Parts: sequence; C-alpha cells; structure tokens
Amino acid sequence: MQSFLGKRAVASAISLVGLIILVFFLSRLTGDPTDLYLPVDASLESRERFREINGLNDPLLIQFVHYMGDLLRFDFGDSIRRSEPALEAVLRGFGWTLQLAVITMSLVTVSAIVLGSLAAFHVGGIFDRIATFFSLIGASAPDFWVAIVAIVIFSVGLGWLPTSGTGTPWHWVLPVAVLFIRPFGLILQVVRGAMITALHAPYVKTARAKGVRNRPIIFVHALRNALLPVITVIGDQTTAILNGAVVVETIFGFPGIGKLMIDSILQRDFNVILAAIMVTAFAIFLLNLLIDILYAVLDPRIRY
Amino acid sequence: MTYRTGRLVAALLASTIAGQAFAQDVTVVLSEELNTVEPCMATQSNVGRVLLQNISETLTELVPGEGLQPRLATDWEDMGNGTWRFHLREGVSFSDGTAFDAEDVKFSLERNLSDKFVCETGAKYYGGMTLTTNVVDENTIEITSDPAQPILPLLMSTLAVLPSETDPDAFTDAPVGTGPYTFDEYARGQHIKLSARDDYWGEAPEVTSATYVFRSESAVRAAMVAAGEADIAPNIALQDATDKGTDYAYPNSETVYMRLDLSAAPLNDVRVRQALNYAVDKEAFVGTILADGTLLSTGMTPPSTIGYNHDLDPYPFDPDKAKGLLEAAQSDGVDVGAEITVIGRLENFANVVETMEALTSMWQDVGFNVKLQMVEVAEWNKYYSKPFPEDIGPTMVQAMHDNANGDPVFSMFNKYASDGVQSGTADPQLDEMITKATGASGDAREALWEEVFAYVHDDLVADVFLWHMVGMSRVNERLDFTPSIRTNSELQLSQISFK
Repeated sequence: MQSFLGKRAVASAISLVGLIILVFFLSRLTGDPTDLYLPVDASLESRERFREINGLNDPLLIQFVHYMGDLLRFDFGDSIRRSEPALEAVLRGFGWTLQLAVITMSLVTVSAIVLGSLAAFHVGGIFDRIATFFSLIGASAPDFWVAIVAIVIFSVGLGWLPTSGTGTPWHWVLPVAVLFIRPFGLILQVVRGAMITALHAPYVKTARAKGVRNRPIIFVHALRNALLPVITVIGDQTTAILNGAVVVETIFGFPGIGKLMIDSILQRDFNVILAAIMVTAFAIFLLNLLIDILYAVLDPRIRY
Repeated sequence: MTYRTGRLVAALLASTIAGQAFAQDVTVVLSEELNTVEPCMATQSNVGRVLLQNISETLTELVPGEGLQPRLATDWEDMGNGTWRFHLREGVSFSDGTAFDAEDVKFSLERNLSDKFVCETGAKYYGGMTLTTNVVDENTIEITSDPAQPILPLLMSTLAVLPSETDPDAFTDAPVGTGPYTFDEYARGQHIKLSARDDYWGEAPEVTSATYVFRSESAVRAAMVAAGEADIAPNIALQDATDKGTDYAYPNSETVYMRLDLSAAPLNDVRVRQALNYAVDKEAFVGTILADGTLLSTGMTPPSTIGYNHDLDPYPFDPDKAKGLLEAAQSDGVDVGAEITVIGRLENFANVVETMEALTSMWQDVGFNVKLQMVEVAEWNKYYSKPFPEDIGPTMVQAMHDNANGDPVFSMFNKYASDGVQSGTADPQLDEMITKATGASGDAREALWEEVFAYVHDDLVADVFLWHMVGMSRVNERLDFTPSIRTNSELQLSQISFK
C-alpha cells in the first residue's frame, strides 16, 4: 500500500509540475493584464509603470524562473486584481466550494443509491418510474434555467427561501438543490444498472434460496458488489463540482472557487489562476486516492 | 402555553419593529465583488459606489444641476501660473479620530502617483501633468499643475482624501476617511458593512448602516429587491427592469460611438464618414434593444457637460442620402468598396452584439463593405488605444466612453487630439481648438468647447455618433431615492431617505 501511495504521489507531482508549466505559459500567451486592469483612458506612463511594478516587462522565461523560485518557498504571489495573496483568495473560495460539494454529493449518494436500488428491484415499478423521471430532468434541464426559475418561484413568489448569498442554512437550500439534480439523475441510472446486474448474480439467487429477506439482499449482498462503478461516477461528479460549480456560484452569489477561477481567467490574474489550479489539482489527487482505497475496501480482490 | 408563546412572539415583533424605526439599514446589491477597497481605485464604478463620499470625501464635489460644490474645501481661488489655493474645512476629523488638515491632502495626492502601485484615479485623471503642493498652513493648501489646468478644482473632485498615517506603499484594505460612515467589515465574497459616524462634520444621515452584497446575475439582483432582500440594485439589465414602480432609467454618463480611422481610405473622405452617419437608424434601437430614454448623441460627452453643443442635430436616418454621398465619392475615385473592419467590444453593454449586428447590416444596406469582429476587451483595446496595429486597413472601433465629471476636457484630448491615445484624427485645427478650450475658463471655456463639438460633428465628422446611454436601477419602494447620472460612479448613502 505504501509503495502504491508513493508511486501515486510521485506521478501526481510530475503531472502537477507539467500543469504549472503549461498554465503559466498558456495564460500569459492570452495577453497583458495591463489593458484589463487600467481604465482605457490611463496614460501610457501609467501603463508602463504598472508593467514594471508587476514584473510584466521581464522576458517570459525570467518571469517563470521567479515564479518557480517563489513557489519553492510556498509563495504563490499576490493577486494583481484583488490586492491580497493569491493563495488566501483561492483557499477561501475552495472552502465554500468544498462545503457545497460535500453537502450535495452526500445527499446525492444516499438518495441515488436508495432509489436506484429500489428501482432495480422492481423494474418498471413506481421507484423505477421516479428514477427515470429524475434522470431525464437531470440530463435535460440546464443549471442556469433551473436556478433562475427556482429563485422566481421559491424566493420572489412564495418567499420561502432567500434568493442568494450566504449566512443561514436556508441560503444553502437552493444552490444545493440545483447542483443536486444532474449528478443525482446520472448516479441513479448507474446504481440502477449495476444493481440489475448484481440482483441477477448467482450469489443473490443463493441468498434468496436460503430465505434471506429482500432488504438484506438489496442493501447487503447486491449493493456492495454493485458499488464499484457507482463510486467511480461519484468521484467524477464530485471532481466536477470541485473544479467549479460556476453557474450555481454565479447565480446564487456563492463565493466559491469556480467563480473565482473564471473571473481570474477573464481578468488575467495569473497568480490566482495558477494557485486555483494547484489547489484543485491537489484536492482531486486526494479524492482519487480515496476512491482507490475505497475500491480495496469494497472488493477484497483488489490489492495495491 | 399557547398564550405565553403568543406573548413572546408579540414581544419579538414589537422589538423588531422598534429596532427598524431606529436602525435604518439599507442593503445595496452590486454587480460584482469589489477587488479592492482602496480609495484611489474609486474610479471603478462599484468601488466608487461604496467609498466615494460615504467613506472617503473629496475637496470638491460635482453635483448634477448645481455644478462644482465645496466638500472638504470650503472655497478655492486661482493664484495664477497654474496654482490654485484651497481653503479647507475646519473641525473635520477622520473616522479613526485624527484631525483632517492640509498635510492629508498633500499625502493623498502624492500617494495617488506612487511608484509602488498604480492608482486608477491618478492614471485616469492626472496623466500628462505634474502636480505639486505647497502647504500654506494646516487649513490651506496650494496645488500647482504644470501645464496649468483651469479645471484643477474639478480635478480635485476625483481625489479621495486619506489620513497621512495611511501606508504610502500599499493599498489599504480598511479605508479611513472623513465621510459620514465608517468602514466596518469586508467579508470577502460575502458583504461589506458600513455604519454611520456620530462625529461627522456634516448633517447626520438617515441611513444608519449599509450592507453591500454582490451578485453578478442581473435577474438575481432585480429579484433581491423584489423579494425585499435588497433596497437598491444600481445596475440591472433592460430585460429585468419590468416593474415601473421600482425601476428607474437614468442617464449613466456613457456615450456609445464608432471611432473612425481618418488616415485610411475610404474613411479619409468626409462624404464616406457622413454616409456612415446617415445610414444608421439610431431611433430604431431605442426602446427595442436599447433602453427607453436612450438619447441620440452629437458628441462625446453627456448633454449635462459644460460646453455641450445643444444646437447640433443628430444625423437623421437617410439611406438615400448615404447612397448619394457614396456615389459622389466613388465618382471622384474613392474606393468606397474597400472592406472596412468593424471592431465591437464584447460585454460592453447589454445587447452589444445585437446592436453591432444591426449597425453592420444598416451599413451594408447602403453599399458599404463592412466586416464585423466582436472581440474581448484586451483584444479590443489594441485597436482602440495607441499604438494602433499596422496594416489592418480601414477600421471602425465601437466604444463606450464615460464622462461623469462635467467637463469635456476629460474626453476631448484623448479622443480627438493628434496625440490623444484613442484619437483616430490628426487635425491641426482641431488640436488648436482643444488647446484653447482646455486653457480657457468661465463662459469663454463653455463657448470654445461648443465650437469644438460643432467642428467634430459637422465639419470633421470624426465619428459615427450614436447614443447617450441610460442605466437601469431598481429601488425598493420604502426608499425615497432617485438614481441620477452620478449613480454610475457613486451612491451617497446620505442622500437616501425613507418614505
């Protein structure tokens, strides 16, 4: 196991360095942030001073060497736009997104597994119809539309929930609900498919022949064996939210990392772009590691 | 038990209502999170809306309809040779308790031009001049501009004054000012909170505290006011302004125009430039894809600017005349069929893409060979600001220019002088006219600017003149507040009262 973890860490570190190099040069190829930072009426002297102060006049290679030198001291640099350390802004945003991802994916996982298993047990039954309905909604309803409609109905019309923002548990309801729909529909279908296969396996027939009741058959015998592909999809969907639930964060005014990243890219705030990519890459590395460990826990045949 | 619960609820309600009667809090929903709360960056609309005249005050203040008014300076006098003497208000203190004096003004001006960071105020307003100060006594300061600036007092309406104890080498994240409010908290990504000072030198405002929140989606900002979660949304999209009881249109000091490159054929022919103007049905846009109340423009600045020439008539929509002008030019050998590149700026204002596509179609209808390119701001600025790219052929650049400062000087040099950083013209006569108007004062200044506007519009036809834009704001019905041209750059809480 230790050797596996070591190999994964080395491989991830190499990928991360490659990613930093790629993003550093690609982001700078998009142009000079001076034009975006200063008003169009700014004098040429001001523009030159801005470039000088922010090291933008140095050759690209020199800028890269400076950046990597600072990075070795865990100095991610300052945000040009936000007049604060880039890492501080990124970690703050990541904290919000992480909470959003954990809450959403916990709810998705529990509800999709329960409903998907029941749907698989009674194919064509009421749970199966509900599962199909939600899968269709999840696949077809765009996030931004659902979010705006939800605000109009539940906040402006009924006055039950705040439109947006943070502050109370009620503020989480609409963003989580909107984020919930898509992964729920997808994971529900994966659970259903995997469970239909598992429920027709010989060990389930054996369990039935032994007189085991339905609930243990579904949730103990079949589910454990059906979970491997489900975990893969859960990891994939969690990664998608961690990478930034941009639409939901934008509409609901959630100060997460997705909105921060998009703004930084649009504003060419290079240090924030790089810090955000490193933080999310590290989080995704940990998430993948966790999924690998879960595989081994669920399936004793898997050994590292 | 039910009775006791009822009493508790009644007591809570009573205390809430009583609390509301005394604590007059307003919530303002802004279109984006503030990147900084540094007062010298208050030229950014949302930074200005939070800080200007709420936290940080200026020496003078431009009031719509009233002109330049005293604020931290009680009066000022022209000492000649580019020097203006400002007499400062006595008995004023900053929110940290320190007294306001001339050293603070000197410090704020010098800090604006720091070599450790770039302030937008300095970059935008104090370029091309050297400003020096002389502290006469603690309540008197002389500011000298080289070259002389007759509008130096107006320029001082852009300088946010900070205490001289502020870090001169870094942006502040806890601004201190002489304004009626203190800056209490900035929870990044969530809110900013201000509260009224009880030791403010002026009249105590009705609003006792303010919370600013940030939502980039216009529909959500409008919904927040509709749901009672916010009181003012200073900037909402036209399609979200659906409630006549709460939504206001106001001139937002922005002017949309097409900057023409007068050095390249066929745009170097005045008949072609006139044809471009006659080909556009400007009125068709108003109330359809642009807001009702949008004005047809004849110049670069809003009509409330001094020296704006109100005698000029917008070019009417006359496609036949446009075609005739093109034919006349063609018969004189002008290559009117040459491809003209139209550069539009994405996200510049609501429905900009639709607007540019319609304009392009109108020019094509009268025979122009135009090609539209919509580009993002940094790419756009390569075409808009000098040095212009070479060998790109005739080009028209769509731009929106903001001048809420009441004087054309903030616009005309950059846009029309030969050395202007966004000028597509090089006309010695116009250069001379701008120089004369810039150096004049009083009625003469007004008359000279009127001449400049007329020359640019009628004789030179330097641009395709389009619209003076309006902004849309939603204001909660409980407030007595009407947005104005200044709402584009500031939002004085002290001007808000409750119905």
